[in-house]
Amino acid sequence: MRDTAVRAAGLAGTLLYGAAIVWMYAAQPQTVAEVTGGLTSTVGAYRIDQQAFDDGLAFFGRDQFVEARAAFSRADPAGRDARTQFYIAYAFYRQGWGRVYNDDALFKSGLEAVDRAIALAPGHRLVVDDPGLDMHSADELRAELQRGLTRDVSDLNPMRLLRKRR
Amino acid sequence: MTAIREAFVLPCLFLTVALLGGLRLSADVRLVPPPLVALVLAVLLVGALFRASAFSPERLVSQNRRPLENASGAAVLLSVFAASAQVFNLLTPDTGLLHVLVSVFFLVQFLTTLTAVRDRVAMLRTLAVLFGCAFFLRFVALESLYAPGRGVIKRVMTALMEGVTLGTLDYVPTGAATGYVAFLTLTLYLVGLVLLPTSRTGAASIALVTVREPPQAEELDRDLPTLRRE
Repeated sequence: MRDTAVRAAGLAGTLLYGAAIVWMYAAQPQTVAEVTGGLTSTVGAYRIDQQAFDDGLAFFGRDQFVEARAAFSRADPAGRDARTQFYIAYAFYRQGWGRVYNDDALFKSGLEAVDRAIALAPGHRLVVDDPGLDMHSADELRAELQRGLTRDVSDLNPMRLLRKRR
Repeated sequence: MTAIREAFVLPCLFLTVALLGGLRLSADVRLVPPPLVALVLAVLLVGALFRASAFSPERLVSQNRRPLENASGAAVLLSVFAASAQVFNLLTPDTGLLHVLVSVFFLVQFLTTLTAVRDRVAMLRTLAVLFGCAFFLRFVALESLYAPGRGVIKRVMTALMEGVTLGTLDYVPTGAATGYVAFLTLTLYLVGLVLLPTSRTGAASIALVTVREPPQAEELDRDLPTLRRE
């Protein structure tokens, strides 16, 4: 009986350890926080730091985007929360947006963040109900970021100067 | 072999080797999956271990064992294979001509070992020497030669080597920390191989040979009349 229990426990442990190794090779985490966050999120036990998230929202509302991203990153150190990643992407978008031209580096970072948010969202569908935002879905934000990175004839349209930040 | 060794110790050792074998600690942390050639070499290595009676799969998976025991044994077998593949991944340079050369060297070496070595102890010694040399080549010699901030002589040497081989002999250093992790990984792997179950008959015969003492003179005198009668 004891022998059976030992073998069953060992087999379960081996399967868990093996699955964790496969996950690590697939996800390529760079920090310990990413490792622990990734593993806890797979069992549904991952929680963001709500205080840091609220700080991030406050900074975001005051157009302090660098500070907002720092707070959001602190709230979600493993990068496993879709909503926080959405706000990080939005902060990149608003900071990089320009009436004459956009900051491509910030837009690219925003696109990476919104892709992470979409990948993490259940069914890859993410809608954020925030009245302070003009775009509520990750798909809209992604399309806007991609438009900002695309070079075409419409870039020469003088009416672009009248568009407003979303 | 005890259930604890089979269910906990061996899988834990070999899976740790499988995890650390692909770890590269340079400016960033990377986990490099094993290339296809590492899987081929792992098959050869496991085959060579089996042929040399360094471990016997029938003590892990057989029809005489219960399903749970077989599942536990299969987990050990899979972890041995994964660890073997990762050991080759660890010891072989990641890219370039050196990757090809070291891979071919391992392939030829293990084909030879597969046909020639039939003894467990000799097999384990062979592996220790082979992996030790490969470790020295990669993590001591090549790392020192290609380390960032190296002196003029080393730079001239590497430039000459790359020039002679038309730029194919290129090596990307992995950082000093990777070497320490590699040493630990290799040690764990060799310890795991020593702990693998061997065949019962082989172990029993070794035990007889080693335990039995040579006959004393009195014993020979006592047995002599019986032998003469026969």
